[in-house]
Order: sequence, then C-alpha cells, then structure tokens
Amino acid sequence: MTNQLLLDTSTSRTSVAIVSNGETLFNEYHDGALSHGEALPKLVASALKISPKVDEVIVGMGPGPFTGLRVGIAFAQSFALAREVKLIGVCSLDAIAAQFTEKDFIVAVDARRKENFFARYTNGIRIDEPNVCQPVQLEALQIPIYGEASNQFPDPVAFISISKSGPTYAQPIYVRRPDAYPVPAGVKFRPMTQLDLVPVFAIEKSAYGKEAWSMAQLKEEYAGKDRMYVAGEFGGELISYAGVTNLGGIADVLTITVAQNHRRKGIGRESLRRLIDWARTQKCEAIMLEVRVGNEEAIPLYTSFGFLEISRRKDYYGPGKTAIVMRKELK
Amino acid sequence: MKNSDALVLGIETSCDETAVGIVSGRKLLANVISSSVDEHARFGGVVPEIASRAHLEAMQGVIAQALRDAKVSIKDVDAFAVTAGPGLIGALLVGTSSASGLALALDKPLYGVNHLSAHIAVDSLDSDHKLEPAIALLVSGGHSSILQVNDLTNDVKTLGSTIDDAAGEAFDKIARILELGFPGGPAIDQDAKNGNPNAIDFPRGLTLARDLIDHKYDFSFSGLKTAVSRYLAKTPDYLRADVSASFQEAVVDVLLKKAIGAAQDVGIETLIIAGGVAANSRLRTLAQERAGKAGIRLRIPPLKLCTDNGAMVAAMGSLAVAKGLAPSQLGFEASSSSGITTAIF
Repeated sequence: MTNQLLLDTSTSRTSVAIVSNGETLFNEYHDGALSHGEALPKLVASALKISPKVDEVIVGMGPGPFTGLRVGIAFAQSFALAREVKLIGVCSLDAIAAQFTEKDFIVAVDARRKENFFARYTNGIRIDEPNVCQPVQLEALQIPIYGEASNQFPDPVAFISISKSGPTYAQPIYVRRPDAYPVPAGVKFRPMTQLDLVPVFAIEKSAYGKEAWSMAQLKEEYAGKDRMYVAGEFGGELISYAGVTNLGGIADVLTITVAQNHRRKGIGRESLRRLIDWARTQKCEAIMLEVRVGNEEAIPLYTSFGFLEISRRKDYYGPGKTAIVMRKELK
Repeated sequence: MKNSDALVLGIETSCDETAVGIVSGRKLLANVISSSVDEHARFGGVVPEIASRAHLEAMQGVIAQALRDAKVSIKDVDAFAVTAGPGLIGALLVGTSSASGLALALDKPLYGVNHLSAHIAVDSLDSDHKLEPAIALLVSGGHSSILQVNDLTNDVKTLGSTIDDAAGEAFDKIARILELGFPGGPAIDQDAKNGNPNAIDFPRGLTLARDLIDHKYDFSFSGLKTAVSRYLAKTPDYLRADVSASFQEAVVDVLLKKAIGAAQDVGIETLIIAGGVAANSRLRTLAQERAGKAGIRLRIPPLKLCTDNGAMVAAMGSLAVAKGLAPSQLGFEASSSSGITTAIF
C-alpha cells in the first residue's frame, strides 16, 4: 500500500491531500493569501490523523507568490527528510489544467504587481515553461483562461498523474528574478555642496532644456531650509544630484536628475533610496513626489519603492503637461 | 528523555543566515551556518527575496550537516525549536515551515522562539552557571536594548532601547558613507584598528543631564550619524581609520556606560552582552575593562555564537524543555516585529 501526501501553497489556497493506492483519503484546503504558514501544519496534522503512514510526498513548485510558495516547499522537503521518503516537485499550474479538457486554453494565477503567472495547454499538454505577463496580454489570445480569477485552484490529487507523465521540478518555479539592483559600480555618493552648483546647472540644462531651473533658482533651492541634497560622482565628475525637503513632517522629493550618459545604471534608484533614508531620519510620516505622466523610466522605479498615485495636477510642468502625485507611507 | 539533557534541534532564518544548531541540554553539539551575505554585499544591504530564496536552497543541506556534526539521527531529536520572530517575514516562514515539517513528520514538540531571547539564551551553552538574574545588553543590526532578565522564558523587562537606529544599523550606514562595504560592523571594526579612537570627539547620544530624565537607558545613534557626515563634509583630508575608530568608540562608550549603569542601579551583578554587535572587538575589550572596574560579572558568548546562529535557537528551545513549558500551537504565526516579552510563541 502506497500512501502519498500531496501539498500545494502556490495560490491563495493551501491544499493538502492524502491518497492511498489511488483512493483519496483526505483532501482539504484553507483559503487566505497570507495564511499558508498557519494553515499548512494544521491541515497536515488532520491528514496524518486519517493516515499516519506516508511513503511519498509530492509538492506544487509553483509558479506563485514566492512567500506562500516557499511555505509548502520548505515543509515538504523537511517532512520527506525526517520520514526518509521520496519527494517529488511538480508544476502547480498543471494541477489546474488537469481539470479541463478544451483543445487550447491558458491557466493563469496571481503573480502580484498586476501580473499573472501562466502557461498554455494544447490537447491537455503544456506547450512551454510557465511565464509571467499582464492579464490583458492573455485576454488578447481569445482562448479560455482558467485559474484563480475564476476560482479554480490546483487539485493536489492530480499531482499523482502529473508526477508520472509530466515534467518534475527539483527547484521552485520562480519565473521572476528577485527585485534587487546593485549599487552602481564606481559611483560615489556624497552630500552636495555649493561648489557643485556649476556642474549641476550644466546637467540641469541638458536634462530639462527650456524647463531647466536657472542658476539663481538652483542656488535659492539649494540654500532653502530643512532639506538634503546628495550628489553622485564618477571618476571625479558630478553625474547626478537629488534633493528632498521636510515640509512639516511630509518629505517632498525636489529633484532626482542623472546625466544623460549615466542613466539606466541604478543611480536614480540609489539616490532615491538615500532621500527616503533621510526622510526616515527626519521622522517624516510620508514622502511625496511629482512625476510627469508618461515618464516610463521613473514611474516603475517609484512604484517598486512603494509609491502610490494619489492625485494628478494638470499643467504642472507647463500647458498640457500633467503631473502624477505619488506618495509612500513611512510609518 | 530527561528534560535536562533533551536533544533539541534549532533553526534560524530571520535574516541572511540559514543556520541549524543541535544541543543536548546545555551542551552544544553542532552549529552549522550558511550565509547569503556575499550575495547581498553588492546591493549594500540584505535583499529579503534573495535571502528567502537562499534559505530554501540551503536548508536541507544545513540540517543534514548539523546532524552529521552532532553524530545523531533526526529520529533521535526530542524537540525542535525555530525562530518565529522578529525578522524578515518571508525569511522566517522558510524556517518555521521547515521546522513544522520536521516536527509533524516525527510527532515531536516544536517551540517557536523569540530571536532576541535566543541571543541571550546562547549564554547558557557549555556552562552550568545560573543564567538569571542578569542585565542584558542586546545589540544587533535590528535591536539595541538594555533588558532586565529575571526569567528568560517569561519575565524580561525592557529598561531601555534605541529611539532611532539600532547600533548595528549605525555601523552599516557609516560604513556605507566611508565606502567600507557591507556588512558595516566587521568592516569598521577592522578599519578602526589602525585609527585613533580619541581623534574626533563624536557625540554620545542621550547622555546629557536632561536626556537622562526620560531616556536614562535609551540609545540614539542618528545624531552620531549626522555628526560623522558633517565631519566628513568639512574635513576633505580626513583620516578614514580615525573616523572609524572614533565613531566606534562613541557607540561602544555609550552602550557600556548605560548597560553597566543599569546593572549598578538595579543591583544585578551579571551583565550579558549579546547579539551581532557583541562580536565587535572594541566592545569586547572595553566591556572587560569597565565591568572589571565596576565589579560586574561580564558574560559575552564566543564570537561565532554572537552573530545569528542555530545553536542559540536550540539553546532557547532547550531552556523551554527543561522548564517543562508547553510547545507552541500548531501553525503558530511567525511575526516580523515581536517584542522580547514573548519568548515562546
């Protein structure tokens, strides 16, 4: 008699099943996107009451939101280690797909950040490795989409046939790389001084053209109260400047500007991080900034730091040029 | 099993170390650590998702190595312990889930323990001295507190703590300004060895007479950080080693002044210094000197048990078993921000 313990935590549902020689003895779940860690041990304890003996563990390797996904995998690996039984990892999407018979369809689950993890199935077979994209891109394919959005979850009992016929996985199916950006190599950050205003003005002019601040405006801004400017230097040359001010407990980003030939190297990101650090030391309750509608380089950066759009200001940067106001809570 | 020599396996994953320790009662049998610190260095700080992935990757190997080192089988383990908080939530969950898997598979008790309590509990290992009462100076990347430890499992009073940055955080930030890299603690410690600790008179936070009214045992390091930045800005030809040494001296001086003061005020003779910053060589030396003068019995764990490790978690679990405490409930919640008053979850 072979007893299989089947676990999945790749979606907002935590599922546990025990199957003995093809007969399902236990198959229960708990719903909650943040409660895998609490639900899984309780479900497994109930399952073990029905069948204490386990000969094999099969776990869903995702894709799915990482923190919950790892709960199931870490648990399954340790359980198998302690019982000295075999562990098999399968693709969780396959266990949703197993419930459908259409010739051509998509399985999609939440990937956070308004995206989906998905895979496409033709004649019951997954045609590619799981990937990630925006829901509209999947809708454009005009074929059925199954998954979490329509309340369909992986059925762990399906893991058994999947583990025999389909590919198995030894590592979690993350699809996405971690959000992490190296500190730009060779770039030195330091407090900005009055002497920097000359090269700052040169970058300001080349970056903003007619809308650039004049030298007098820059001087006045720099000399203002309750603010901090950080300069970035590469090979002794000024290549970026950024400033923030504390307006009565709310920090406001004054500028983040990087010289044209040093963009897309993470210098803006590192500058912003330093502005946020400063705002925290000022005990600001939030930090705000304005960004021009359509600035596709800057908006994702701000979003990744947790800034959310709170309003829009028409004609902020001149006639027809709208600003998005974004805010990040610091408390 | 006799409660006093139970075999306890402890798992620690609250930050960037995947660590497993095994103890028998108060005897240390194994202490295995896999660190992802190198992966974080180029980001200038710990990246939670990278740390969590590294925990999952390392966990099975670290458990197996600890069992080999201790020369025991997983089936011999009497109880499991795991850090349940405080820490990075995604990182903690890898540890608590692994520990739950082990405990449920073998039907053994599981203790979710407080990371901060565990830092102090490590002092119980390989010694039979009475742990309590003690004053504990707990200093790490996330915490700086002075605690009155009457009973580590259920009676710990916070006498003071930092009102802004933790001591370890201050080291990281100053190291970043001085371009010494990450993590900042060991880097500044090393750099300071070539510098003069009295070269620059950096401020000692919350030590003025008026501060002592409300913040007698509290710390503040943000003013010190500002002072270092200002000094660097107005001293273009500064000597980095002198800045490192003088900054370190300012931190260590105020930590010890307040901790020894607390021990004297409360009338407790033992001072335990625990947490990652307890690995700082200047803190260790100066603590010996000053505790000696003040007639305080000083206890600092060996270097490798100061930074995050699994032995401390096992030690805390072992204390709970020895006291006959009930294990944690099935599916107890890991918590990123638990205070030391909850020793067992």
